[in-house]
Parts: sequence; C-alpha cells; structure tokens
Amino acid sequence: MSALLRVQDLKKHFPIGKDLFGRPTQVVHAVESVSFDVEKGRTLGIVGESGCGKSTTARLLMHLIEPDEGRISIRGKEFGNIGGRHPVAQLRRQMQMVFQDSYASLNPRLTIEDSIAFGPQIHGVSETLARQQARDLLDRVGLNPSVFIRRYPHELSGGQRQRVNIARALAIKPEIVILDEAVSALDKSVQAQVLNLLSDLKKEFELTYLFISHDLNVVQYISDDVMVMYLGQVVESGPVAQLYENPAHPYTRALLNSVPAQTPGQSKNYIVLEGDPPNPIAPPKGCRFHPRCQFAKAICAEKEPETVKVSGSHKAACFKLPGSVDHQTYIRLQEVSHEPRG
Amino acid sequence: MNPVVEVKNLNVTFKGEEGSIFAVNNVSFDLAAGETLALLGESGCGKSVTLKSLMRLHPMHKTQIEGQVLVEGQDVLKMKPKALSAMRGKTVSMVFQEPMLAFDPVFTVGDQIAESVMRHERIGYKEARQRALEMLDRVRIPSAAKRLDAYPHEMSGGMRQRAMIALALACKPRVLLADEPTTALDATVQIQVLLLLKELQRELGMSMIFVTHDVGVAIEVADRTAVMYAGRIIEQGPVQEVLSRPWHPYTQGLLGATVHPGMDRNQALPAIPGAPPQLIRRIDECAFAPRCAQASSRCLSPLPGVNTLAPRWTRCIHADVSQA
Ligand SMILES: Nc1ncnc2c1ncn2[C@@H]1O[C@H](COP(=O)(O)OP(=O)(O)OP(=O)(O)O)[C@@H](O)[C@H]1O
Ligand SMILES: Nc1ncnc2c1ncn2[C@@H]1O[C@H](COP(=O)(O)OP(=O)(O)O)[C@@H](O)[C@H]1O
Ligand code: SF4
Ligand code: SF4
Ligand SMILES: [Mg+2]
Ligand SMILES: [Mg+2]
Repeated sequence: MSALLRVQDLKKHFPIGKDLFGRPTQVVHAVESVSFDVEKGRTLGIVGESGCGKSTTARLLMHLIEPDEGRISIRGKEFGNIGGRHPVAQLRRQMQMVFQDSYASLNPRLTIEDSIAFGPQIHGVSETLARQQARDLLDRVGLNPSVFIRRYPHELSGGQRQRVNIARALAIKPEIVILDEAVSALDKSVQAQVLNLLSDLKKEFELTYLFISHDLNVVQYISDDVMVMYLGQVVESGPVAQLYENPAHPYTRALLNSVPAQTPGQSKNYIVLEGDPPNPIAPPKGCRFHPRCQFAKAICAEKEPETVKVSGSHKAACFKLPGSVDHQTYIRLQEVSHEPRG
Repeated sequence: MNPVVEVKNLNVTFKGEEGSIFAVNNVSFDLAAGETLALLGESGCGKSVTLKSLMRLHPMHKTQIEGQVLVEGQDVLKMKPKALSAMRGKTVSMVFQEPMLAFDPVFTVGDQIAESVMRHERIGYKEARQRALEMLDRVRIPSAAKRLDAYPHEMSGGMRQRAMIALALACKPRVLLADEPTTALDATVQIQVLLLLKELQRELGMSMIFVTHDVGVAIEVADRTAVMYAGRIIEQGPVQEVLSRPWHPYTQGLLGATVHPGMDRNQALPAIPGAPPQLIRRIDECAFAPRCAQASSRCLSPLPGVNTLAPRWTRCIHADVSQA
C-alpha cells in the first residue's frame, strides 16, 4: 500500500551563537535523517524525551521552518520551496497543525468565529460560507455556536480553547492533522473529552493524525503506529501493540518501563537510566544512546547502527538486533562498563 | 503517637480587586511520622495553596487564612517571624516543580546549600560545605565535588531537580513538602527522581506531602492520599484502597477518564462532562454536583459532615461506604 504522507531523510540543524565574524559557533542537531510513512486513516504517535526533535519534525512538515535536506510528499506529490516542487500553500491545505499552548495560538483580538473562518477565506472561500462552516464546526466540537461565536479566547477555558483550535485546523478541510502535545495541558477529566472528540472527528472526516505526546499511555491508546525519537533520530517504529509489548531498542524499553503503574498494588521493577538526555549540540558519536545504554559495547561508540527490521513493519536501529550487519561483531565484543555520565 | 502535622479547618481566601477567590475550603488532615500523603487533584483545585499554607508562603496583604496548621504541635499560622524562619527549611522544607524557584541564580549551588545549613545549625562554612558535598553525592549528582561550584543554570533539568532536593534535605527536615517536583521532567528522569525521594525519605525517616495530578505517581510514592476538588478534600484514605475502590463519584470519574494501559481502544473514554467550577464564591453544597451522574436535589443543600468508615472517609452523601 502506498503512503498518504511520505517523509524522507529530513534534516535540520540550527546554528546558534555568533563569533566575531557573525559565524555560528555551535550547531544544534535537532533532526537528523528522519524518514517515515503514514497511511491514510492511521494515527502515528511520536514519542521521545524533551528536545529530541518531535516539534521540529512537525514544524518541518508544515514548512513553518525550512528543512536543510529531505523530501515531504503527500500522495506522491512533493512539496517545498524548491523549483519543481508543489507550493507550500497547497501543502497546508492538506495538512494542519494543533499546538499545545491553546492560548498562544489564537489571536486574542479575534472572536472565535473570526478565528475559525479566517483560514478558509485565505484559501478563497466566501465570507458567508466560511462563517456558516465555522458555526457548524463549533457545534461539531461540542461548543454551542450561539453561546461561543462572539467570545474571545480569554473568555474560554483551556479545554474549550483547544476545541476551538481543533475546529480551526479542520476548517481548511485537511486530510492530515498534526497534534503537537494538543491535549497535554488539559486536566485528565477534560483531556478525555478532547480525546473522544479527536476519535470521532477522525472517523467522520477520514482524517490521518500525527500525534505527538510525552504521555506514553495516551499514545498507546490513540495511535495505530508509533515512532520513538532519541536526539533527533528515529530509533524504533512500528505498530503500537508490537512496539509496546515487545520494544526492541534499549531506549524504548527504558522509556516505556519508566511510566509508573496506574493500578494500585502492582509494584514494578524499573529500568532506571542514568543521567539526562544528552545535549543535541554535541550528540555522542556512534549510536547516540550509547552513553546511557546498559548494553553498549565498543562498536556502539564508533559506528551508527542502521535501521533494521524486527518483524513485519516493526523496525529499530541497534546492533543487538540479529538483522544488523554488525550484529556478529557486536555479539563477540566484551561489554564495556561505563561511568554514568553527568 | 502524635501526628507530625495536623491541619484543622484550613480556609484560604485571596482578596482581589474583582472579588475573592476561595482557594481552600475547610481542609483538614494529618500526617504521621515517616508517612507520605499524596494530595491528588486537577489544576486549580487548591493543592499548592494548601501546601504553601504549611510554611505560610502566601502573599500577606491579600491572603486571609483561617484554621490551624500544627507542625510538631506548634501553630504555624500564629508563629512570630523568628520562629517561622527557624522552622522553614529546618523542620519543614519544600521542593517545587520549577527548581529555579528554590535557587538564587547568582550564587553557586554549593554555597546556597552551605548557607542554609549554617543558618539553621551552628556550624562554620567549611563544615557546611562538606555537608553540601555529602548531599550532592547523596542525590547522585555525578562528580559532586566539581558541581559544588556550579551555578544553577549550568545544570541540566534533572540535575537541578536533584540539587534542589539536596538543598531541601540538607538540614534533615522532619517534613518534606513536594509540589509536583517531577511533573516537568521526562519519563526516564521522573522515575529516577521519584525513586530517589522515596529512598531518602526512608533513610531520614521524614514525613512527606506530595502534590501531584498523576494517579500513577501518587500510587508510586504515597501511603495515603487525599483527593481534592474545588478547594476541598473530597475523599481520603490509604492510597491502595482509595485508588482501587474509590467512593466519591469524582474520584471514580477521574480514574475512569485517565488513560491507562489495557484500555479498549475501540471504546470512547468515560469522560466527565463539564469542567471544575470557578472558586469565586464559597461553595457549601457539593461542588461536583453539576458534573455528577448520581446527583440528587439533596446534593444542592450544604453538605453534612463526612461519610466515613475508618480509616477512610468521603464527602459525598450518596457514597456507599459499607463495602470497603
Ligand atoms: N529555532 C531554534 N533554534 C535553535 N535550536 C532550536 C530551535 N528550535 C528547536 N531547537 C532545538 O532543537 C532540539 C529539538 O527541539 P524540539 O522542539 O523539536 O524538541 P521536542 O522533541 O518537541 O521537545 P519537547 O518534548 O520539549 O516539546 C532542541 O534541542 C531545541 O532546543
Ligand atoms: N496568590 C494568589 N492569588 C490569587 N489566587 C490564587 C493565588 N494562588 C492561587 N490562587 C488561586 O487558588 C486556586 C487554587 O490554586 P492552586 O492551589 O495553585 O492549584 P493547584 O491545585 O493547581 O496547585 C486557583 O483558583 C488559583 O488561581
Ligand atoms: S547500538 Fe549499542 S548503544 Fe545503541 S542501543 Fe544498541 S546496544 Fe545500546
Ligand atoms: S454529594 Fe451528590 S453531587 Fe456530590 S458527588 Fe455525591 S452524589 Fe454526586
Ligand atoms: Mg515539542
Ligand atoms: Mg499547583
């Protein structure tokens, strides 16, 4: 089956700091050869620790920032600001994004109705029709239009604002919606309402979601496939059940294991990683996870493991996997004991 | 044995230009030596305000506090400034979600820990620095000796969180107040810090009040839990019992709405309709009534006392407390 969204070798480095001559002194390796496919109607969850490049990937997809390298295509049509590619404005009709901070992403001086009707008008829909659609959408996201159309963002609760943001993203009638921590700031009782809404809308409008979240339980519930990022790279991806039940990468295993049990009386044996996620300004050589990995051997500090198949569409990048070309070399090496990094 | 902390009928009201905010309403609880209590609830329900009352950290001019807050038998709300500052950081200490609240950015971490020790114990700088080093080591900061001279901003998030714990525990407090200290941390770092806190608590025999909105975290750290809603404790008891068989409809709703492993992905989440009320008036009836499926007209009159079967109680007139 061909993918609806295909992302190939996406890369973004941010130069930071300036020397005497205005040249950057350091480079943040935010996103490094990220590739993935999303099929129509599926939800891809993206997880990983703070700073691992989830939001940067999302912003690159939307062309809110320009990629250094890589291709983004929808139904085989490639988009970008380079000659021969389809214009970014077209891309944004097909793909929309909802952010975590529901307050910052709404214009405080526009009424709710104006906010939702604005996008479609930019894309050539008449004002009357755009307003009618805005009311329908408000109703659809569970906000009574007669109560809410004239209100301003500060007159809404967090959950209500997030519903408005979802309505606004849907107003363009996109096929793909990127949700970047879209429910993270909401309290659990309200979060459940918005998650239900997202599931209903997905069915009704045949949407495809990219769901970015640090809440691993929510990702498991909402996603069909999951992609795990570490320091700008994808270390593992696959169908949600397979990946959660059988994580292949040592980082994924530690990450999933670190979630406290939600059921009383289940005491857990935690795999406690040493140290914090390292600095993307100077990512470790070889496997980027090696300074924190309990299975690291000499080769892991020298060579970068390639992504190999675990089973079916489940993939990971680690020398421990039998599919890795350097697997035999890895097996023969002694384990190195390493100092916990600071 | 006397409890280390006893809070009796605590009311906290903030006076503002546009009226008052009734942040904490008749809150009572106690805490035994060595015990951990999780204050569990959603944002704005009054967890932090309750916690800050134990050290009297509210802005004086606009806050009205009533009730009693006894720490080792002494009423914090009646303490003179000198007694209060002797108590803060010594008998009762606090860690925050944001460690920069605890540290002054212009002094090194080591000096700030040493300063706190010197203030509360009559020892010199050298000895105090030695204590700072021990503490940084104890919270497992790598190359602790080098980090003594680091400034707070030079540390990573997780390390700063551990340094703040070192600062809070340097004078071996009897009670540690922890206000969501792991909420902003990544999962892998959160669990490091939680396990560390539990271990240090056991070693030092401290009591702890741990504020969180995360059910899993409460289960991991606490012996007992008090669930808050709209400024009141609506249910309390041993954490295992409360969270496996909640009595109050809000606690039931919260647990049901929280996504957990093994949920049926094809079923809608049992969400609670509506949102918590604004705290702009004193709510004497059940504040959960507008969202509660079991509400009856009786729930709209001022609530009677609690419904109890020791050691648990709940503030719901319809709760069936017979089957514990
Ligand atoms: N405009 C920028 N200039 C410099 N560095 C940046 C910029 N945007 C992002 N970064 C850096 O790129 C890295 C990846 O950031 P990103 O926002 O994608 O992380 P994330 O995975 O979304 O994290 P979080 O979970 O905290 O949202 C981080 O180190 C971040 O500090
Ligand atoms: N200094 C203050 N002045 C006015 N209102 C406050 C102040 N501190 C807290 N509040 C209000 O008190 C209520 C409870 O707040 P808080 O205890 O911080 O909630 P949480 O349970 O999220 O910790 C909220 O409505 C909050 O806005
Ligand atoms: S490649 Fe080596 S360091 Fe990287 S995850 Fe696998 S075993 Fe660990
Ligand atoms: S007192 Fe009434 S409204 Fe309140 S929780 Fe109990 S049943 Fe519901
Ligand atoms: Mg982000
Ligand atoms: Mg708080």
